[in-house]
Amino acid sequence: MTGGARSRLLKLAPALGAVMLFAASCASDAPQDTLKPEGPAAQKIDNLIKPIFGIAGVVMVLVLGGALFIAWKFRARDDDDFNEMPKQIHGHFKAEIGWTIAPALLLAVIGAFTVNLIFDLAQKPEKDAVQVEVYGQQWWWEYRYDLNGDGDYTDIITANDLVIPAGREVALKIKSRDVIHSWWSPRLNGKKDAVPGRVHPLTIEADDPGEYIGQCTEFCGLSHAEMRIKVVAVTEDEFSAWTEHQQQPFEKPTDEAAINGWGSFAGQCTSCHELTGMIDPSSADDPSDATDEFVFPQQKNQVSNAAPNLAHFMTRSTFAGAMYDLRKDTPECTALGTTWASTDDGIEKCLNRTDLEAWLRDAPAMKHMAPGDVASLNSRGMPNFDLSEDQIDDLVAFLTTLK
Amino acid sequence: MTTNDGALALGSGGALTAPPMGVFARAGQTKGWRSWITSVDHKRVGIMYGAASLFFFVIGGLEAYLIRLQLAQPEGKLLSADLYNQVFTMHGTTMIFLVVMPIGAAFMNYLIPLQIGARDVAFPRMNALSFWVFLAGGIVLNSSWFLGGGADGGWFNYAPNNGVVFSPSHGIDFWNMGLLLTGISSLVGAVNLITTCLNLRAPGMTLMKMPVFTWMSLVTQFLLLFAIPVLTAAQVLLMFDRLFGARFFDVSAGGDPLLWEHLFWIFGHPEVYIMILPAFGLISEIIPTFARKPIFGYPFMVFSGIAIGFMGWGVWAHHMFASGIGPISVAAFSVATMFIAVPTGVKILNWLATMWGGKLRFTAPMMYSIGLITMFTIGGLSGVTHAIAPADTQQTDTYYIVAHFHYVLFGGALFGFVGGWYFWWPKVFGYKLSELHGKINFWVLFVGFNLTFGPMHILGLQGMPRRTYTYRDGYGFNFWNMVSTIGATLIGLSFLYFFWIIFHSYRAHKKAGVAVGPDPWDARSLEWSLQSPTPAHNFDYTPTIEVFDDFWHRKYGEDEDGRLVPVATGAEIAQPGNGEGVHLPSPSYWPIVLASGMPFLAYGLIFNLLLVIPGVLLIVGAMIGWILEPSTDPNADHGHDDEPSGPNDTSDVAVEPAANDEGDAVADEANAPEEVAAR
Repeated sequence: MTGGARSRLLKLAPALGAVMLFAASCASDAPQDTLKPEGPAAQKIDNLIKPIFGIAGVVMVLVLGGALFIAWKFRARDDDDFNEMPKQIHGHFKAEIGWTIAPALLLAVIGAFTVNLIFDLAQKPEKDAVQVEVYGQQWWWEYRYDLNGDGDYTDIITANDLVIPAGREVALKIKSRDVIHSWWSPRLNGKKDAVPGRVHPLTIEADDPGEYIGQCTEFCGLSHAEMRIKVVAVTEDEFSAWTEHQQQPFEKPTDEAAINGWGSFAGQCTSCHELTGMIDPSSADDPSDATDEFVFPQQKNQVSNAAPNLAHFMTRSTFAGAMYDLRKDTPECTALGTTWASTDDGIEKCLNRTDLEAWLRDAPAMKHMAPGDVASLNSRGMPNFDLSEDQIDDLVAFLTTLK
Repeated sequence: MTTNDGALALGSGGALTAPPMGVFARAGQTKGWRSWITSVDHKRVGIMYGAASLFFFVIGGLEAYLIRLQLAQPEGKLLSADLYNQVFTMHGTTMIFLVVMPIGAAFMNYLIPLQIGARDVAFPRMNALSFWVFLAGGIVLNSSWFLGGGADGGWFNYAPNNGVVFSPSHGIDFWNMGLLLTGISSLVGAVNLITTCLNLRAPGMTLMKMPVFTWMSLVTQFLLLFAIPVLTAAQVLLMFDRLFGARFFDVSAGGDPLLWEHLFWIFGHPEVYIMILPAFGLISEIIPTFARKPIFGYPFMVFSGIAIGFMGWGVWAHHMFASGIGPISVAAFSVATMFIAVPTGVKILNWLATMWGGKLRFTAPMMYSIGLITMFTIGGLSGVTHAIAPADTQQTDTYYIVAHFHYVLFGGALFGFVGGWYFWWPKVFGYKLSELHGKINFWVLFVGFNLTFGPMHILGLQGMPRRTYTYRDGYGFNFWNMVSTIGATLIGLSFLYFFWIIFHSYRAHKKAGVAVGPDPWDARSLEWSLQSPTPAHNFDYTPTIEVFDDFWHRKYGEDEDGRLVPVATGAEIAQPGNGEGVHLPSPSYWPIVLASGMPFLAYGLIFNLLLVIPGVLLIVGAMIGWILEPSTDPNADHGHDDEPSGPNDTSDVAVEPAANDEGDAVADEANAPEEVAAR
């Protein structure tokens, strides 16, 4: 073997490592980058891991460089006398004790900082933290807010977008309705699993308003790759406006298509979907006179026992487990934030009507799901209901009234 | 079995000479396929382990390449989500249980008896059983592809996603049954090899004179002995859940999904060391040979291996830092995990110290060994970065972890195994693999490996989750995924090249007709004191061991000035390969018959319990036959290498292909010194 080939082996690895870290920290278009913290918890983790990456890099250069040096220096040469033996060294007790203890000490120091941070991150959130229950289920996330601190997490029930005030802690209580999922928005904090039967706390906080995306990171079946997370951080004022708006009662639709859609919704969709405070369109001869609240069936057909609550559906920016944009992702529409659907003009410009209609037409074609027989207990995800184009138009008209 | 030849000859009283069970003729073939399926020779069992693992390696490799093709670009459409989930589950399961573990078993089966100066393993028929049950498990697992689809829950198969409700196909049942069988195989093997190491060492070979590979194998077998039952327990719970409606992991019935996670990782973390320690052992034999120095700090190498074995039990929950096990557990497991880097680091530095001051010959096995040292170092360091539990909450379940464990298991274990193939190939098959092609092959594999798995560090830190069938444009994942797929193509080509090298080297050997000699590398341990390929009876006479590396010390002595000089070549002092009077355990049908009953149990539990009946009949029948059959056929010749002289009078020795005749050995002696000197 030539010396040149050897050195290539040994040079390549440290260079590769350096390039990798560099490339990872410099990517411009990586919204899930773990090395770009934008909240206190993620920042603390970053502060700990960056120096450790540095130490690991130094150790790597030393070990691999040392291996390169040794390989080069002690290579057998062609003119060596085969009978000339190298010195037979069987070991060196002190050196070996040395390189047992030295890394142990280094790791002890790193360990001390690590343990310190583990307990720091596990601290209880502050008193003014926003209280949110997070439910993972195949393959979307539900968020339930307790706004008044009474322990009742039904003040707001929403899905896909987690709206939080920037600069305030948010205390998440992470749960699961079916299998294990993991909630992760890397720029705000590390991930935490949603395990059936358990409540796992996680505190997040965003430094500034903005959108912080993430996705489920514990393998949870078919559409694990499309079980997405979007945290929408807004100012305190916007947040109070949003919470107030979310608690507005259901408004009956007024135009004819929407009223038809309302009827279809009550007839078809409510075996899985809830809609907080919805009036039962069949409780009067003319739906616009109806006043009785709709009684949602207790027994749900889904394994997960629920589909997203569609109250104020139009204030969200995504649907189908945050897989599709509900509000188009143009700068103009994004700038409208959670209020994009408050005007007809906004809906006209920003509603992603194509995907929404396609979803109603054939949901399993839009996202890998296992809808199976709706009546059976093995149904997971939204089935294809064979809706007519008229029904779809009516349903979309109804959904756009859920502002 | 003992090391003492006298004790090998079981009493052969007249009462035992009738064929056992009256009807069946005893297996006696020494050639052809029947001699392989009835063989109880540890060397043949080792070769069969190796061949079967390579077969499964091709399957697992194709699965890996499907994954890479799917992920080459965003929104890949090659596989559906369902199929992708099956493919990555089966890729991981296959590579771990049907490739890396059995390749380790292949080396251990072949080498342990040779390195400790034994005739065979302690329980030769159990050894054959171990292989056949492993093969049955591999077949049951992979037959799922033809019977409704593979398992789709990930190799870790977390509950409750592994339940019937969430995975209604039979894929996970096949996974469960297949791995229950390979678990039986591992346990049988562990008991066998531990006994072999402890009881069959040649006179003078104290524990602290055992070669490092044998030591690492012993530690590995103890890990298997204690780890496999934990997995088996979890799998039995899963079996009852899936097939008989139990609800061990169902919260609504008082079960707990985290029970599965804990049980799985209490097995799963020692498993990591089960996979890497044999490779550590292999390169601990290769590096001293090509440095022409003894292993540096033998006691440290041994005790660091034992330390890794012990500490491996105290770190399982680092797979669960995000599972909500609470800050105290997280802190304890985080610190414990960091400290397991200490004995591993000792090994790396001791290998480098072994090279220090040596005269390094860069043969193909040596290059793979240095490849292991460097690549494992990278994997070890990334391992430390996710021992930092808070950092791990960012890294776990991303491609950063995929990069990490491929650096330790591919860059570590597999590089060591390939190096081992090049090193021991002449001992096993009597010819060398081409050195020139071996080195080119190394560079192709090395570059391909780093191109495939290096970029995964970046992808992981950029937040690309594992086990996702697709990713989106605009997340910064596109470029590095394409690079990774190109690298995977290179890996695939490098293994096609490797298979070609085997073929090419074999043909070159056949053409030249020159035997390789007992000691082609100027190596150190006892197996090199035997002819190549190893004679069926291993040792003509039991060697007596005086020092560590005894064989090497018989080749080199000190001259009057105290300088180390060669006093004999390996070929001169090698045992001539004359098995006159050696009495070996006889071949037997019962191991494969017993193993063949196992798939009936597996399929019976999955499809129809009636199938269990023939399974049980086969197993119990084979057990009875086994018990009634003396391990040594009293009708067989006690001699060696004779052709069978009659239908009932067959040789008890599984004769290797004729290449190991004494005639060749004489020719080797003439060739070997020049061959060594030429390097």
